[in-house]
Amino acid sequence: MTDRQVYLDYGAATPVLPEVFDAMAPYLTDQFYNPSAPYALARQARADLEAARATLARLIGARPGQVTLTAGATEANNLAFATVDGPVVTDAAEHESVLACAEAHDHVLVGVGPDARVNPAAVRSALTPMTELVSVELANGEVGTMQPLREIAAVVAAERARRLEAGEHTPLYLHTDASQAVLTHAVNVSSLGADLVTLSAAKVYGPKQVGLLWSSDDVRLRPLVRGGGQEGGVRSGTENVAGVVGFARALQIASGRRKDEARRLAALRNRLQRRLETAFPTMVVSGPKKDKQRLPGLLHVSFPGLDAARLVIQLERRGVSVGTGSACAASRMQVSHVLQAMGVPDEVARGSLRITLGLPTSQDDIDYAAAQIEQVVAAEGERVGVTL
Amino acid sequence: MSRVFVGMSGGVDSALAAALLVEQGHDVLGVYMRNWSQDLPGFKCPWADDLADAERVAVTLGIDLEVWDCEKEYRETVVDYLVDAYRRGLTPNPDVMCNQTVKFGTFAERAFAQGADLVATGHYARVEHGAGGDPARLLRSCDEHKDQTYFMWRVPGEVYNRAVFPIGGYHTKAEVRAACAERGLGIEQKPDSDGICFIGPVGLRTFLLDSLERRPGDVIDWKTGEVLGRHEGAFLFTVGQRRGLDLGGGPARYVVSTDTDANVVYVTDDTSCPALWTQTLVVDDTHWVAGEAPREGSYLVRTRHTGPLREAHVVARDGEATITFAEPVRTVAPGQSAVIYDDICCLGGGIVTKEERA
Repeated sequence: MTDRQVYLDYGAATPVLPEVFDAMAPYLTDQFYNPSAPYALARQARADLEAARATLARLIGARPGQVTLTAGATEANNLAFATVDGPVVTDAAEHESVLACAEAHDHVLVGVGPDARVNPAAVRSALTPMTELVSVELANGEVGTMQPLREIAAVVAAERARRLEAGEHTPLYLHTDASQAVLTHAVNVSSLGADLVTLSAAKVYGPKQVGLLWSSDDVRLRPLVRGGGQEGGVRSGTENVAGVVGFARALQIASGRRKDEARRLAALRNRLQRRLETAFPTMVVSGPKKDKQRLPGLLHVSFPGLDAARLVIQLERRGVSVGTGSACAASRMQVSHVLQAMGVPDEVARGSLRITLGLPTSQDDIDYAAAQIEQVVAAEGERVGVTL
Repeated sequence: MSRVFVGMSGGVDSALAAALLVEQGHDVLGVYMRNWSQDLPGFKCPWADDLADAERVAVTLGIDLEVWDCEKEYRETVVDYLVDAYRRGLTPNPDVMCNQTVKFGTFAERAFAQGADLVATGHYARVEHGAGGDPARLLRSCDEHKDQTYFMWRVPGEVYNRAVFPIGGYHTKAEVRAACAERGLGIEQKPDSDGICFIGPVGLRTFLLDSLERRPGDVIDWKTGEVLGRHEGAFLFTVGQRRGLDLGGGPARYVVSTDTDANVVYVTDDTSCPALWTQTLVVDDTHWVAGEAPREGSYLVRTRHTGPLREAHVVARDGEATITFAEPVRTVAPGQSAVIYDDICCLGGGIVTKEERA
């Protein structure tokens, strides 16, 4: 056991920044009022909520009225899929919340390449005149792949233009879950070319269970949670004022240091990657080779023949916390659907660690973690008789 | 040194069993048997957490842990058996079936097929391997409060010949927990799992109502024939039961018997009611660890887990046995196991039938 703690699973959860916590605190205590109440105190809470919404909207190049606040990205994704009844197209490497929503519709899952990239041409071939929604994430949270969203938006736009000329009235929308990307990549809804965009506070050093769905003026959202008619009737339930204020503050901070932080994270990640590659020639690094096409703070590595769950336990005992891929898949003991979609063989996939760096990660942390990973992997390799 | 496959549940007992085998120098493989993963209303099946605990212990011990999927066998031979028995008005022991068909059935067979010399579990029991092909003898554990042989009577001695129970010699659970703590296994605080594992704390009633249709019927006074109230299904009740009758006050009443065909529950407020007592049990579906029935004679008989060992005269023949107690005992619900001991040796037993008591 060790006193030193190096957390490297920021893709799973980020701490709430002190500034964010300070911004939220008053709304949990003194300014607890229900924003729908008629007196001045409550009207102030309403005003602060709307100011936070306006901040969020401004940070993604949108109008406040286009932002629907939800309890996290999963709900936002569900809300996006609830806009249509017809067939949908998405890809096999999406987050579970998107895949599960797709399964509730007629759907086509397009495959991904060995680097988890979606080929826009594959999306084009999957479209039919009946398709009503295409959903492709901006960045994959498990292996870090940035998807060619603008090219996919062009495919969707071309199909829309075709329908218009042909006099077909079936709508077609593009949704993207940008929650893993927004920390290090600017999300501007007009330049993305999407009609629906999901974001989460929990991935940008804000609170959990707070998220948003941006929707263009062409989209009419349909409620999943009914009740008092908050959020324009689309998402009932007393507004989470503290959470939304925290979300706005967190996204504001993230936007301010996005460029520098992305560069810093990429340098640290590459340092870790080089060191591990040198130590273990058989180690597999998943995701695109080019830095531009992958999230800067994410390193996905596989040690063929080893069992990742055991590595995690041994690393945890040395104070290093890393993930084994998407948390949900790990807890069910199944090989990750993302790695499966990429065609990664099972014996490689089972030895996978997802290492995600964050704001507090220092070079010293990375060097400590690298040393621990080297020792643990070497020992486990020796125990099971695998040459790494 | 032997190749030993040890069933690891993520609990304290099997963790220590594995640790002891490693210390004894055996080549040990841990196996987590995934028997059930279904949630019930109000109960989230903890299998993934249990597996994570087993995995941590395996890593500490430096042994491999495999997950074996036994859900099909478990559903068919334990869960379906349980539901079917209740439907027929019996009160089964699912743990008895689990030991016979899963732990010392599927698990042991697969282990031996994959090269195990021995299988091990964290059961509180002891085993004396037979010499020269004789079947093993199954002995009660040193800890009489934990002894689990009541659940192990249907397993043949040939299987026990290749089984070891490393913690059967411990005298108290506290010692087991202390031994875990000493070894830094990290799970010594984990609470005991009591009751039927796939039902958890929500209770059998919730589980049965999830599987069987509610069927309203009368609660009838056994002596007077008077209708005292209504119930939601005779299958929900078992002989001797006091709770859950909902007769709107009055004296405490006990279930005397149930008739699942007529859907009637008979009760009494008289604890000396003759129907609540018996001196003779007839059991069928007998199994004997030694492979053959014991000679007619005087033995000790247990009719519930860790229940008293009572003296009785046992006559066994053709898959049946008649057990005559020295003193009258509370009626045993049909479907329960009656397990027969010769001193500390578990000989086998049978399933209590609905047959008229003498």
